[in-house]
Amino acid sequence: MAIRDDFEVVASQVRTVVQRFALGLLVIVTFGVMLVGKADTVLVEHARVLALDMVSPVLEAIARPVAYANRAIADLREFASLREENARLREENARLLAWQTAARRLENENEGLRSLARFREGPEASFITARLVGDSVSAYMRGALLNVGRRVGVAPGQAVVTGEGLAGRIAEVGENSSRVLYVTDVNSRLPVLVERTRERAILAGDNSPRLRLTLLQSIAGVQNGDRIITSGHGGSFPVGIPVGEVVETSEGSVRVRPFTDFSRLEFVRVVDYGVTGLVGPAAPAPAAPPAGVRVR
Amino acid sequence: MRTEGTLAILDRWGRAALPGTVLLFFVLLTLAPLRAPYLSDTLPLLPVLVVFQFSLATPERLPGPLLLVMGVLLDLLLGGPGAPVGVSALGFILVRAAVIANRRYLVGVPFLFQWIGFCILCWGYVALIWAFTTLWTWAAIDPVPAMLQYVVMIVIYPLLAPLLARVRARDPLNVPEPSRGSARPGETTT
Repeated sequence: MAIRDDFEVVASQVRTVVQRFALGLLVIVTFGVMLVGKADTVLVEHARVLALDMVSPVLEAIARPVAYANRAIADLREFASLREENARLREENARLLAWQTAARRLENENEGLRSLARFREGPEASFITARLVGDSVSAYMRGALLNVGRRVGVAPGQAVVTGEGLAGRIAEVGENSSRVLYVTDVNSRLPVLVERTRERAILAGDNSPRLRLTLLQSIAGVQNGDRIITSGHGGSFPVGIPVGEVVETSEGSVRVRPFTDFSRLEFVRVVDYGVTGLVGPAAPAPAAPPAGVRVR
Repeated sequence: MRTEGTLAILDRWGRAALPGTVLLFFVLLTLAPLRAPYLSDTLPLLPVLVVFQFSLATPERLPGPLLLVMGVLLDLLLGGPGAPVGVSALGFILVRAAVIANRRYLVGVPFLFQWIGFCILCWGYVALIWAFTTLWTWAAIDPVPAMLQYVVMIVIYPLLAPLLARVRARDPLNVPEPSRGSARPGETTT
């Protein structure tokens, strides 16, 4: 009897030790995972892409009802301000028609001048339309998941645009999924031009809704309302995609509001420009899919 | 010795798998493109609520290694380039350990005190993630969005927690399995 009691006491002690040890072991394993992630970024990249590919069908299944719910909420909200919205749109329409006339005239003029000057155009861009199936928005990250991947020609570094302007760039690509890094993300650095003065600058995100314009040669020339467009430097982006407009200029800091409304994204277009600057100048451009490939 | 029917086996399996499944669901929900203001930013913290609530109710069905896997999955799915992979796993495991250490107290007290316990642990989790991300990326990250996330999270805790608490084993003794010994619910000693 006494031996059995002793045995049980020892067994329970061993069990407690193992349980205590288990916590320490798990903590060590998590640190190990973090260190491996820091040391071997390629491995982590592969793991991320694998995880994305695995969950993207699930996300796609829930994206539609979620989109429906979002639309219902937005509809309700818009219903309240229908009259004001209508008036605003009519006004905008009139303004845009005037611009359209100007654009037609300029296009004709441009074409004529180009043929005169034998101007060689840059590579033709093609678009891949994608549905946004997941958000990766947290306190530390601004991005989204798309339902297109390597199979239809998406590659890291490609620009992601909406009707309004640039949304971000492709950061990771899986077989049938990819991750967009928004321009507002803290890791986003974008070579841009101030449209009016043609000055070069870098547009940096800091996870807030406003972007920061830095490395300007002369910060004084920038005014509120100036449009910011991509400069195409670095080679991965086409020139002249609108990004945002300057909304705040104070001592040493210029703030830019992006044109894209990130809270309403549902479909985006991935721009395959044929040139991937991140790959390096020596590498041949990847075979571009036929222009206007539409994916769902 | 009773022989178990198919339904009973299914029931047992279902019970065993439920916490893990719910946690997986919330990890995936983190990525759902929900456009509700405030709420969508809070989604990455919801798994913590699940870990807290299930560690309180049935820790044996939410073992540490499972939390490790779920945490790494969450980091892989959520994290951008450069973000530490595994920090959520560390947070989950520490939350579970803290709940289990205080379980005898937390199970018995009124809901308000469980809420306070969650507030403290969740704060620790948010601070841990923020500190690790800042150290890892070596960049000054604004802590305000993380704090906002935290505030929304503790406000919605009372809405979700009672729902999750329903999975608790229907057990009048409601004590951890090992300390109950071989006694079955309702059994009387002679």
